[in-house]
Amino acid sequence: MRPSFRAVGLAAILAATAAVPALAGDQIRTIDLFTRPQAAQPQEFQSIQLIAQEWRKLGLDVNVRVMPWEQMSDIVWYQREAWDVTAWQMVGRPERSDPDEIIYNLFHSSTAEKGYNFIGYVNPAYDEVATAQRVEIDEEARKELIYKAQEILAADQPNMMLVHPRQTFAFDSTVWNKESVVEQSGIGIRNTWTFMSLEPLGEQKDIILNSGDNVQAINPLYISGGVDSWVFELVYDRIARVGPDGLPQPWAAESYEWRDDKTIEVRLREGMNWHDGEPLTAEDVKFSFETAVSGEAPMYAPFASNIETIEVVDDLNLVFTLKQPAASFITSSLAKINLIPKHVWEPVIEDLKTKEENAESYQEQTPIGSGPFKFERWLTNEEIVLSANEDHFNAPKADRWILRIVPNVEAALGMLRSGEINFMGEFSGDPQVLIQAAEQDGDLEVVSTVEMGFRYVAFNNRRAPFDDPAFRKALSQAVDRRLIVGAAFRGFAVPSNSVISPALEFWYDPAVMEGFETGIDVAARMLEEAGYTLEGGRLHYPGDKTEEFAK
Amino acid sequence: MPHLKAALSRTLQLLLVLWAVVTILFLMFRLMPGNPMAAYIDPTFTIEQQQALMAQFGLDKPLWEQYLIYVGNLLQGELGQSFRYREPVADRILALLPNTLILTFTSLIIAYVFGILAGAYLAWKRGGVVEHAAIPLVLTTRAMPEFWLGMVLLAVFSFNLGWFPAGGTRPAGANYDSLWALYTSRDFLTYLALPALTLAIYSQGLPLLLMRSNMLDVMKEDFVTMARIKGLSNWTVVVRHAARNALLPVMTSFAIAVGYQLQGNVVVESVFSWPGLGRELVNAVSASDYPLAQGAFLMIAVVVIVMNLIADLLYAFLDPRISHA
Repeated sequence: MRPSFRAVGLAAILAATAAVPALAGDQIRTIDLFTRPQAAQPQEFQSIQLIAQEWRKLGLDVNVRVMPWEQMSDIVWYQREAWDVTAWQMVGRPERSDPDEIIYNLFHSSTAEKGYNFIGYVNPAYDEVATAQRVEIDEEARKELIYKAQEILAADQPNMMLVHPRQTFAFDSTVWNKESVVEQSGIGIRNTWTFMSLEPLGEQKDIILNSGDNVQAINPLYISGGVDSWVFELVYDRIARVGPDGLPQPWAAESYEWRDDKTIEVRLREGMNWHDGEPLTAEDVKFSFETAVSGEAPMYAPFASNIETIEVVDDLNLVFTLKQPAASFITSSLAKINLIPKHVWEPVIEDLKTKEENAESYQEQTPIGSGPFKFERWLTNEEIVLSANEDHFNAPKADRWILRIVPNVEAALGMLRSGEINFMGEFSGDPQVLIQAAEQDGDLEVVSTVEMGFRYVAFNNRRAPFDDPAFRKALSQAVDRRLIVGAAFRGFAVPSNSVISPALEFWYDPAVMEGFETGIDVAARMLEEAGYTLEGGRLHYPGDKTEEFAK
Repeated sequence: MPHLKAALSRTLQLLLVLWAVVTILFLMFRLMPGNPMAAYIDPTFTIEQQQALMAQFGLDKPLWEQYLIYVGNLLQGELGQSFRYREPVADRILALLPNTLILTFTSLIIAYVFGILAGAYLAWKRGGVVEHAAIPLVLTTRAMPEFWLGMVLLAVFSFNLGWFPAGGTRPAGANYDSLWALYTSRDFLTYLALPALTLAIYSQGLPLLLMRSNMLDVMKEDFVTMARIKGLSNWTVVVRHAARNALLPVMTSFAIAVGYQLQGNVVVESVFSWPGLGRELVNAVSASDYPLAQGAFLMIAVVVIVMNLIADLLYAFLDPRISHA
């Protein structure tokens, strides 16, 4: 008789006293579970400890391996056959409010070998849906496909989704009108919309905010650090911008319209100028998109590579023709490519073409954009100063935008209270501390927003037992996400079972979370039904399967 | 010409040390586990793109070739390009070095002036209540971790009393025509005060204890006894005769302390958001930005080596009994 899962203790005793007949496959090897160090990623580290503890209850031997990001990503990314399970995360970005990047690049089989599907998930049924949503222009029909994709992922559990964290920011409500703060869904209140609309209440008209990280570059052709994007999203305009609701809206364009599923007409706003006073024309727009694929800006190339031709009709009108129909085109291209002045960049790009380095290593003295803020000054590792562009069609109400680099979190909080900064652009400490400080202070307003980014545990789908969806699902079900939310994230997260965040209301399928049961007994039943057995307290493969990956 | 020979051998030694530092730095970062291009992994990123990036930075070449290129570039004064910032390492170091130097020298000068005076005073008052209270206190300040001391000073003088700002070198958005205009401004002093004080408290122990023990030694020497026998006043004996002689080793220790201080800056610059070389070093190491980390370490190593050389030369100059023969 096979021992029951619900009698683990009894099984252990039986195994210890009597020889068990060889009815099952090999014992499952010790599973390596990667996480980054506690000092660097306390929440991830804590989550992984909890998960390992739950999995051990199922009869798995789990070895938590702590390593820095550079080492972890090197193994996971380059040695795709060589690991079992790893903690991972995706951060939220405005352009990720279109589900395509996540739904396609993370799970489509074509990216399994060399792209972001490093887990090696291959499911033809999923591929079909993921490909279909790319070309479906009709929003409702596409929504059905995105729902379908989420359901397949929930059934297959190629990854074990953990949580969507909450982003917590704060500002001084005696300096800024509360009503003028914009909460962008999936991003939080630290966003371009807020910086444009913040309304000063008194004498202080400068937005002074903090960041823990240094600014790496202010280069419209180089996707560098997260903080850098705060700056260049203000200095540069794009044809479209992702709105506070997570959906794209015309920005530098007055309007755009699909003529058919591969052709889109764009009409620019009248009277836009670059910060140096030159007018912004359709030629500049064409140049911006062509530069992305010129070979000089490789990081932006994927966002413009689907464009077949760009036709300039007149100074304000353009027609984009695509190679393939692309539903995400507006969010992932029109709202992603920074508009750059041709008269500034053309000679630079021509010069770079004769050189070894590309435009990513080119830093302008004074970056020239057309955005709501103008570049003023950059003091290395200390501050960036932008000033309001009063001629902009959506001119900011504040005078200046000043980013101070403050690596010390406690100091940042002290500065917010003393007025040295008046907007908390980043707080890497315990959000509870921020809330307490706000209560003591009385002048501070704290806002927490569910992120579109997420934390997860990636299973290496190439390696048994993780090639078995039932096994993955059981492991995923073994952990109650509320435990992770409460213990690792101190309540500042929501449980997740989908790569689409509930913050993206339009695309999120609530059914995948509602139908998701967790608990050790649920997981044990699942394993038992799939034929896994417990012997001597250790989990064994079903049937006569042998262990191929034991060290 | 014994002097020339000595100088020549000293220079050769120096070059040897520099070469060793360069080599160790090169290997140290290359042997760390992990891939420096990990920072760029993104859903739109593929292995091919990553390999192109590796090739762009020369990381696809064998280690010995990378080493030869690195040393070759160094000989031409070329420190390379930072992976993270995509700009020449030399530019970044030059932008940050003045901030680090002004913090270092301000705090060391405060520490040495205080240390020398207090050390001399304690030697003079040997055996008294003051000495019994002061020595344990000095030892305690020596043992306090700098980041802790910095946080305490921040909490008291910045957050509670509001006397000093909490970080940076200037008020938000303030513009100065030059570094000189900044460094001579009143505002700058308020920003410099806490980090300089933290470092000064941390470093005053060495000159203080050194001065005190030298004084005690010197006071026993014949020429001091001679001076006393001549009937000179206590003040003249202590200050003109004893203190001036006891000062020699303390002054040379200053040169070496500059090197140590640069390393102490790493912590203090992070606590006080000071845009200096120490903070950059931490960032560069944690981001596996080899060229920048190597450049910053090399810069610090050069300062330490040069300061040691100065200490040696100064010693021979101040005290003719030491010779290089």
